[in-house]
This record gives sequence, structure tokens and C-alpha cells, in this order.
Amino acid sequence: MFGWKGTILRVNLTEGSIKKESLDLKDAHMYIGGRGLGVKILTDEVDPGIEPLSPENKLIFMTGPLTGTMAASPGRYEVVAKAPLTGTIGGANSGGHFGPELKFAGYDGIIFEGRAEKPVYLWINDDHVELRSAEHLWGKNTFETTDQLLKETAEDARVACIGPAGEKLVLFATVMNDKHRAAGRSGMGAVMGSKNLKAVVVRGTKSVDVADPEAFYKACVDARRKLKEHPVTGTGLPMYGTEILINILNQVGALPTRNWRDGGYFEYAEEISGEALREKYLVRNKGCFGCSIGCGRVTRVPEGKYKSFGEGPEYEAGWALGASCGVRDLAAICKANFICNELGLDPITMGATIACTMEMYEKGIISKEEIGMEAPFGNADAIVELTRMTGLREGFGDKLAEGSYRLASSYGHPELSMSVKKQEMPAYDARGIQGMGLEYATSNRGGCHVRGYMTSPEILGIPVKLDPLVTKDKAKWLKTFQDLTAVVDSAGICLFTTFAIGLPEISAMLKAAIGLDYSDEEVMKIGERIWNLERMFNLGAGFTKADDTLPPRLLNEPLKTGAGKGKVVELDVMLKEYYEVRGWNEDGIPTDAKLEELGIR
Amino acid sequence: MKVKLFAYLRDYAGGREVEVSRCETVRQLLGELCGRFGERFEKELFDKENLSGRVIVLVNGRNILDLKGLDTELKEDDEVSLFPVVAGGR
Repeated sequence: MFGWKGTILRVNLTEGSIKKESLDLKDAHMYIGGRGLGVKILTDEVDPGIEPLSPENKLIFMTGPLTGTMAASPGRYEVVAKAPLTGTIGGANSGGHFGPELKFAGYDGIIFEGRAEKPVYLWINDDHVELRSAEHLWGKNTFETTDQLLKETAEDARVACIGPAGEKLVLFATVMNDKHRAAGRSGMGAVMGSKNLKAVVVRGTKSVDVADPEAFYKACVDARRKLKEHPVTGTGLPMYGTEILINILNQVGALPTRNWRDGGYFEYAEEISGEALREKYLVRNKGCFGCSIGCGRVTRVPEGKYKSFGEGPEYEAGWALGASCGVRDLAAICKANFICNELGLDPITMGATIACTMEMYEKGIISKEEIGMEAPFGNADAIVELTRMTGLREGFGDKLAEGSYRLASSYGHPELSMSVKKQEMPAYDARGIQGMGLEYATSNRGGCHVRGYMTSPEILGIPVKLDPLVTKDKAKWLKTFQDLTAVVDSAGICLFTTFAIGLPEISAMLKAAIGLDYSDEEVMKIGERIWNLERMFNLGAGFTKADDTLPPRLLNEPLKTGAGKGKVVELDVMLKEYYEVRGWNEDGIPTDAKLEELGIR
Repeated sequence: MKVKLFAYLRDYAGGREVEVSRCETVRQLLGELCGRFGERFEKELFDKENLSGRVIVLVNGRNILDLKGLDTELKEDDEVSLFPVVAGGR
């Protein structure tokens, strides 16, 4: 077997049984691995109507054929389940070393079913796989859990686990691996917690074979050279990390400020920028397995009341806890971000939910007494304390733990939740970047930027420059981005590679690794197949065209300043075009012809 | 006129912001800056006479590629921002 390892673990937590199953090669050829294969297995085995936190949901960890090879940035794996935050198909991608280690142990993935009666963890030591009690770990944060597990298994093992947030079913809890890397969005950690599964520990000593070593080597060297030479992957990301985006988004007037209320310009952006992080708190940069980019930040706040150490913040976390909450204190943002990693919380939804709370506080909808503190925009102490309270479901944190949509709705103000399909939108004001609005409205896991990153062409001009303020051609480009991203997430490489390399380079690595002669068009077709299968899951779960929308603020309240002054998101125009480009009917349902063409039906 | 610089472009200018006397076009303004900050800076900004793919130039928040490129005209109170092509955020 080349690229893939050929074996998937099936762990039934209710029964305590572990089976080794052969990888279905037909499915692997059609869905590659990672996200695609995870979604295929979930849709085959799970009724989309189930309750996400019930034992009927399955939690799937899946690597791709390039994970753990010498491909460009090959450290990725995906966690897939029906998502508790949104009720859509869920999924989150993560780097680090966990995914490659799973391959080295001999497995493409793990399917968890049912629910353990008491907390357990899975210990995989090459061929030996066992469930062990995790009662002594319950309540521990992700760092303590990881350290303890390495002590009782093997010091060179790799750990993916949940923190207290996952245990307490915070709807946006993450799965954390290698302490600092997160399968972050849509609440995969809560699904893990609902199964009483505290951690997966893996140690592997094998390797990954490829079909044509010579062609593979050549393709990898070519891709890695391009990554090194490109200004983004060779210089920008290693030097400043993703936080470098703060200033440019602010200058184009698309950095959402104070729960998106104050438009896209934050007057203190410089203080929370990648430049400021590098100058004040950066210890060094850090890469995931086999990565030549190294966008990770090892960060230390050396003194003061926010004294802390950890990794990040990434751009999204820096924005969500910063501009979105009107907070200009970078030390507090770092501290709150580290707490997210330790307790296992998605910092995007966390920051955005605090921002929503702050707006409701300022409007007099929620009182100081209810929150337990004063919470106006700009309160740095509040982001730190409310993050901690959320991870532990303490006091008002118990309400924040449901995310902004449920929180705002419980006070009769769902319009103040800046979310799509109940997941909070990230750090790009779509009124100033029209294509991002279409991405938020159509992303299969709700408000999300990484499944069709239109910021790349609209703001950065990669691979071509598109005007962010017009709707023309956005549907067509978004489809291409969404389909290619599905391929990347399924192959097991990092999405950041796509700044420097595209379909030809990715196809070349993939084909040489698995030994199948796909054309580039066929590879893109795989991405389209994955996208449509996710859509079918969501339709089965009850979602309709009416859910492909945006918060009223983005549709009705024009930007007040900046390049996009006067703009709202022109969603109607783009959405209609998008359905057409996708070959869906006017209600956003894939036609029978499309499903047949893709081999889904 | 006010020109803001970001990321490592600041190393060339020795600061975040520079004042430049009134320029008619972006081309003229960038030429002025190259004269001031030298050859290495020029190499960041230009491939021969064309704007390099390594920088992003904004005028009042609008990318000049969405305007008239290097021929984009400038007014006295325009704000120009210069970025290296930077990315991430995912």
C-alpha cells in the first residue's frame, strides 16, 4: 500500500472493543483521506438527523496519504463528526505531529463509536492498541493531561486530548494535539467529551511508503523550493506568523471591530499586530511536522498581571479577543489565547461570544450582576476571566459555553450574534471583502474562512487580484477555492502551502505518492465531490437555502468608514450565481445529474 | 503626504511612517521613496519598471491594482500604505 497505510481502527467505546479494518480503497480513491474520507465514512454510517452529543454520533480522526511523508507541510489530520455548535457536518483540521505519528503506527485513521461508561483514553503503540482508564485525568487541562500521559505511556508518544471545556461539553471545545495545536472549529472537543474519551496517545515506529519514490522526491523538492521562494511562505509567515494580517485588514477597512458594530477599522490595531507581537513577546517561530514554513509563534509575556507562556496567538485569536472585543492590550490577548489552548476552546468563537456579550452589556440587555463583572468593550480583564469561566462552565461562563447565537437568542437578540449557521464568523469584514461573505454563507460548517479563503485573491492578490468591493466572478472563484481546499484538507498537507503552490504541484505529489494517474481535473473533481457530499449531509440534517445567509448587520448596516464605506454584502446576487456555478438548483440542492456526475449517487 | 509602512519594510525606513512632499502619481511617490531608502528597497518594490509581486500598495485602503496601478493619481490628503505581501490568518 502506498501513501495510505491500509488500516483503520474502529473503537466502540460502549462495548470497549477495538477492531482493525481494511481501508476501503474505492472510497480512498474517490475521497483521498483526511476530511474527504472522514466525511464519506460519517455520511455512510451516521444518520444526519442525530443529536451531535449523543452516542449515535461518531468521532473520526483521519490522516491523508501525504501525512507523514516528505511532501510540503505534511503534518495535518482532520477530526470529523456531526458538529454540536452548528448541527452541520463538522470537521476541524490540525497540524503538529499527532497525524504523522498515527501513520507511523500503521493507521490511516480511527473511528470512535458509542460512549464509554467512564473516562478512557486510547493508547496506540504500533500494533498494540488498548483502551485505558482516564479517570485520573478527568478535570485536568490539556497540558497537564499531555504531560501525565507521556509519563505513563512513552515519552516520545504524541497526544491528542480534550481539556475541561470538552469534558463539560462547551459547544466550541477543541481537540488539542501536541499541547498547542487545535482541531479548532465546530466543537469536535465536545463530541469527544460526550463519548467520555479524554485522549488518544500514539507512538509509531514505521514509515510511509510511496509508489514512485523518484517522482515523489522530485515533486516534493519542487514544491518545497516554491514555498521557500514565495514571499508569504518563505518570509512573511515565518517572520511574523499569521498575526501579520491585522494591519493590512485594518488598512483596507475590513478588520471587524467591536462585534462588527464599528465597521472594519480598529484604531488600536497596531498594538495587537504581528509586528507588535514580534517586537514584544515572540520567543521564536515553530513549525509542525516536516514543515518549512514555521508560522507558529512561541510566545512569552515576561511580566505583569498577564504574565504567561504558550503558543500563538494566531491572527484569528488575536482579532477575536482583540479588535472584536475592542481590546488593545496584547498581553491580555496572549493570556486569554493560552487559556483557550489549556482548557480546549476555539478562540474565534470564544472571542466573538465575549464580543457579543459586551455589545449586549453596553445596550443594557445583560447586567453587570448577571455577568459577574463590568463588561464594556475594551475591558482586557474581562476577556481573560470570561475565557477561563467558559472553559470551566463557571457562573456566566455556563451561558457563554453555548456560543453567541444561543446566548443572544436567550436574551431575545439573535441578530447580535455574528454567526452563520450558529458558528461565529472570523476576522474579515465581508462588507469590505464581498467574496468572503459568500464563503461565510455557503461554508458547510457555518461561519468559516478556511474552506474557501477568498481573502487571498481579494486582499493579497494571490493567485490573481480580484477587487474586494465587487461581486463579479466571486462565485466562480469561490467554488475553485472550496474544491481545492477540500483536496488539500484530504491529502494531509497544510492549506498554507497554497499561497505558493497550486493544483499541479499538489497533484504531482499526490499521484506519485499513491501511484494513481489522476488528471488535474480529476483531482479537482474529488474536491467537488467532497463539497457536495458535505452539502448532502447538511440537507439531510434539515438545512435549507434559508440558512445560506449572513447576520442582518452585514446585509443591512453599511460600513461607515474605509475603502468599503457604504457597502453591505450583496449576497443575493452572488448566492444565485454560486448555486448555478455549483450545478445546484435554485434552492441550493445538488441536482441528480450533478450527484451522478460526481459518483455520489 | 503621509506614507505608512508595515512589517519588514519598516526596517528600510527606520520607522512606521514617513512624510513625502506632494506626488502626482503612485509611480512618482514610490520613485521618491526608492531614492530615499536605496537599492534594496527598490528591489522589493520593483521588477524593472513594474510593481513587484512582493508588495501591496494601498491608497486610502484601495489596492492600486484595483485602481490605475502605478498611474493611480494622488491627492494631498491621500493615505498611502505599503505592505510586503503578507498572509495567513487561518
